[in-house]
Amino acid sequence: MKRFSLKYTLLTYRLDQLWFPLAFWAFFVILTLLLNDQELNFNIARAYIGVAVPLIGGFMAAYAILDDPAIELRFATPIRAAQILFERTILIFIIQTVSALAFIVFALLIGVDFAPLGSALNLHLAWIVPTITMIALGTFGAILGAQTMIGSFLVGLVWIIEVIIRDGMAVNNWKYAYIFMGILAPEHPDLVENQLALFALSAAFLFLTWLLLHRQERYI
Amino acid sequence: MIQITNLTKTYGAGNKTVHALNGVDLQINSGMFGLLGPNGAGKTTFMRILAGIVNPSGGSIRVDGHDLTTEAGKHAIKSMLGYLPQELGMYTELSAEQFVDYMAILKGLDDSKKRNKRVSEVLEMVGLRDVAKRKIKGFSGGMKRRVGIAQALVNDPKILIVDEPTAGLDPEERIRFRNLLVNLAADRVVLLSTHIVEDIGQTCRDLAVLAKGRILFRGSPAGMLKATEGHVWSLTMSGLEKPNHDLTVVSMLHLAEGTQYRLVGASAEGYPSAQLTQPGLEDAYVWLMKQAHQEEPISHL
Repeated sequence: MKRFSLKYTLLTYRLDQLWFPLAFWAFFVILTLLLNDQELNFNIARAYIGVAVPLIGGFMAAYAILDDPAIELRFATPIRAAQILFERTILIFIIQTVSALAFIVFALLIGVDFAPLGSALNLHLAWIVPTITMIALGTFGAILGAQTMIGSFLVGLVWIIEVIIRDGMAVNNWKYAYIFMGILAPEHPDLVENQLALFALSAAFLFLTWLLLHRQERYI
Repeated sequence: MIQITNLTKTYGAGNKTVHALNGVDLQINSGMFGLLGPNGAGKTTFMRILAGIVNPSGGSIRVDGHDLTTEAGKHAIKSMLGYLPQELGMYTELSAEQFVDYMAILKGLDDSKKRNKRVSEVLEMVGLRDVAKRKIKGFSGGMKRRVGIAQALVNDPKILIVDEPTAGLDPEERIRFRNLLVNLAADRVVLLSTHIVEDIGQTCRDLAVLAKGRILFRGSPAGMLKATEGHVWSLTMSGLEKPNHDLTVVSMLHLAEGTQYRLVGASAEGYPSAQLTQPGLEDAYVWLMKQAHQEEPISHL
């Protein structure tokens, strides 16, 4: 039994979850067009795909599971915790992916050169890794605290700290938890280890979220 | 069908521990079963445990042979369950038909042809066929409750759990809803939780009264009335004086000769003019609640 419907997943998706990332996307596009500076364009583009997209993804993920008006009915059905987790977060990742790719295409069309970020794989890992990490963090925070606000607070806190002390994050063992290394320090010698560590951290967050989701009484 | 043994549920820890359920033993068979109790008695916790949403702190629950305290058992029980929660949240941007269809998918009805047929059937059953295409956000409270019962029925559940289903409904809707539940109980377990005594009296032959997390009474409405015989009086008093002597006023009526009181209590010997009266279910409930404040559970009939 599949117990899944893409049609209803989309129909029950809150529209503000679409407007929010769309508004950010439009803001960065307009900013790029207004400033119209080749060097600035690159910085705006990487700020959007590698820093803003993960933040938006994290915020949206904090609301993904608990901000469901029919959560009690959903919990009374025999769908598994893993399905709830996957169904509610994958859409957010898809929206962020579309946003990032659309912006990359836009940036390429106006002549932005992404070469400083390395290969095409590095370019995409530079936004995929932090986006997944922030989505996992947002989901985990909300489920751990059984409140959407806690998830979004945690996302905002980690994001602002890592952006402010980004140079400090690139050294010692902090470098493995430096979410924005791929986009802000692409030449770092430990980039691959950093990205593997972040993937592992995301997997751990999602696993813990899955475990916590079995305790449904915390969320109704 | 449902066997509950020494069920306990506690929330919090240390000084803040709340015993929502405290050693509940119940056996529930097919038909309509009423769970009556005041607000805060533990009814919703009990219903949520049976729905597999809340984990019990102790005790055992077996439903149709499945152990609700295991993940596998919980999954099996949820597959045979229909649940209407007290606070019914829905996707109000969907139409009634879409919402019930979505819940059917979540419950595992994959075959779209069979599912469409079943969705139409249940919407017909609850009298919403004509408005099936309308968005839920435009529905009245009663209509939303009926959508709720339609989604609960869509998987043809062996067990239907309805928590305070008539709260907030007008009298006509309440009667319609009660009749619907009685019809449904013909071939399944329908577990009705309510604090409205009349709803139980009109629908259930089997009931339990829950207060402070404990079962105070388990039996039939007739048994509950029998346990109250000799504890209900009618008394007419003039002037401003009101009856006391540990008697509870169930109702009062202002008449030309004074005020007529219906009283429940252990004894009315302080009022020689008080006349013993046949108890109603509401009197029986009040008597049980009075007992609960004073002593341990009183009967198991």
